[in-house]
Amino acid sequence: MVQEKVRFQPFSGEPVRLIDEQGHWIAGFEHGLPPDLLRRFYRDMLAARILDEKLIILIRTGKTSFVAPHSGHEGAQVGIAHALRKGHDWLFPYYRDMGLMLAMELPLVEIFGQTLGNAADPAKGRQMPSHPGSKKLNIFSVCSAIASHIPPAAGAAISMKLRRTGQVAVCTFGDGATSEGDWHAGINFAAVQGAPAVFVCQNNRYAISVNISRQTASESIAIKAHAYGIPGYYVDGMDVLASYFVMQEAIERARAGHGASLVELVVNRFGPHSSADDDSRYRSREELAAERLHDPLVRFQRFLEKQDLWDANWANELGLEISKELEAALQEALQTGEPDPLEMFDDVFAARPWHLEEQRRLVAEELR
Amino acid sequence: MPTMTMIQAINTALDEEMSRDERVLLLGEDVGKRGGVFLATEGLQQKYGPDRVMDSPLSEAAILGAAVGLAAHGMRPVAEIQFADYVFPGIDQLFSQAAKLRYRSGGQFTAPMVVRMPTGGGVKGGHHHSQSPEAHFAHTGGLKVVVVSTPYDTKGLLKAAIRNDDPVVFLEPKRLYRATREEVPGDDYLIPIGRAAIRREGADISLISYGGPMVETQKAAEEMAAAGIDPEVIDLRTVMPWDKETVLNSAAKTGRVLMISEAPRMASVASEVTATVSEELFDQLLAPPMRVTGFDIPYPLAQDKLYMPTVTRILNAAKKLLDY
Repeated sequence: MVQEKVRFQPFSGEPVRLIDEQGHWIAGFEHGLPPDLLRRFYRDMLAARILDEKLIILIRTGKTSFVAPHSGHEGAQVGIAHALRKGHDWLFPYYRDMGLMLAMELPLVEIFGQTLGNAADPAKGRQMPSHPGSKKLNIFSVCSAIASHIPPAAGAAISMKLRRTGQVAVCTFGDGATSEGDWHAGINFAAVQGAPAVFVCQNNRYAISVNISRQTASESIAIKAHAYGIPGYYVDGMDVLASYFVMQEAIERARAGHGASLVELVVNRFGPHSSADDDSRYRSREELAAERLHDPLVRFQRFLEKQDLWDANWANELGLEISKELEAALQEALQTGEPDPLEMFDDVFAARPWHLEEQRRLVAEELR
Repeated sequence: MPTMTMIQAINTALDEEMSRDERVLLLGEDVGKRGGVFLATEGLQQKYGPDRVMDSPLSEAAILGAAVGLAAHGMRPVAEIQFADYVFPGIDQLFSQAAKLRYRSGGQFTAPMVVRMPTGGGVKGGHHHSQSPEAHFAHTGGLKVVVVSTPYDTKGLLKAAIRNDDPVVFLEPKRLYRATREEVPGDDYLIPIGRAAIRREGADISLISYGGPMVETQKAAEEMAAAGIDPEVIDLRTVMPWDKETVLNSAAKTGRVLMISEAPRMASVASEVTATVSEELFDQLLAPPMRVTGFDIPYPLAQDKLYMPTVTRILNAAKKLLDY
């Protein structure tokens, strides 16, 4: 396979940006994307924003126990989702990727089932919310342990290379993950093996409360790739098209047999770390207000407006339509009820050994 | 029939499984050109190439984590950790990823992988080449744990572990690698995971062990037999899930249970087995189940042999049980 276009240079001093704050296309090439696709990007970003708001309502109404808000990450996540081949490539996501799940077309009922931890969750309500996964879509089930999915992504990519499947492993994580030993171990192994993996940092500059300045002395995350002998792309992740085009190039580069790369998508985190966090303890409201002025949705809206692809009526209608769809899926998920409690003894192993049979009987008797 | 050492049985099992199933792949430190520091994988890279016998970076997290991804993607990786003592930098990959992948995904993703590790003392290896960490793995739901003691079993159990659909930690007592030879058939036989072996039938006392101390346990049994006592000797072979049926049948028969293990006593497999015997057979026992184990200290160099259960300690404990 030959990679068609090479547009981006790794290790740029300034982040790759294709749309400026006013919505002007500032790249040296034509984007060539059809209007339908551009509007689809906007729809997915808007849906991600609305989903985030809906998940927070579910927290406040006591229907779920946790959410890791992704508002501010929509451009990056929609860019990633459209750059890979859905259902063919493998995605190794982290816990702040619910917008990415939406754009990956993970069924909405599964998204809410996982959020509610009920019988609509294909993972049988075993994991806390914001931890989805789908074998059908090759979305590796999220693990809370930070960066622990990076060596498995490297392993899957090695398998893809050995078996020439033409797939790519795309692995996302936050800036805090880059300090973990597993991050180094996984990227190093993938690089040594020339495996088709793209490691994607959604750098929102906060690991819960710890600012990036306390996380690393490197001038960027992307530059760390240099030490592994792979390209590192430094990208404005608030720009959905920059995220999309750079991700696409990194993915197709991997697919063409040129090995792994690291992509840093610089984003803002508009919410707290999670529903259990109070970010006013470590981040001033002024800082947050200033960040909110740079909204990936607004920037892309301005871009679309300039091409007559956006107007307020259309956007309002779209928002209502999305809200309706989400609400319908939520209601459907709510209908399914609780998972069978005895299922907690399933899937530990391929078959239940005697000690799990004993423990299962104990609970069955208690519940009778 | 050929006779083999344990290390040869490992090499044979790997070779047979790699030629049977092209999804089987080996990875680890020095497993390729060098053939492993104990030569378990000797000659295999020459035969199957560097992609299927892969020299990994010096990183247990990379080895075990990549094995998880390889397995989830459809391969059957066999990872070698050079010494069980060095698994700890990769333990998150075993505990958070391999052990929980099937469970956390509701059965959507699985990690059918084998992690081979030389375990136990007896080679003057000090703290970090002597430990027996099986309890850590047994304590983590989602991992199966095998500890071998004979060349014959090693071949059959390793082949069964490779074909198993769950992650299997496969512990190889390094002091037994070349200690004995026995006949190992060339045919394709499996030994089921979770089944103990009765090494000697007897009526007076059940000596239950696994792995390295099977040697001292069987020596003690011979001395007891010479003194007119009739011990039964059981080799657990798998410690997770351990063979409760065989153990309880033996305990009910003899009424006396002595569990021998080289791992530290605190929260150990030996504690679990003896506690279960007490719980289930309290009124049939002639004496409280007892344990001879390693000590709850870092593994010492100078007392390498004294740390492991000695024949004397086993005989003394057995006497206590018989005199109870």
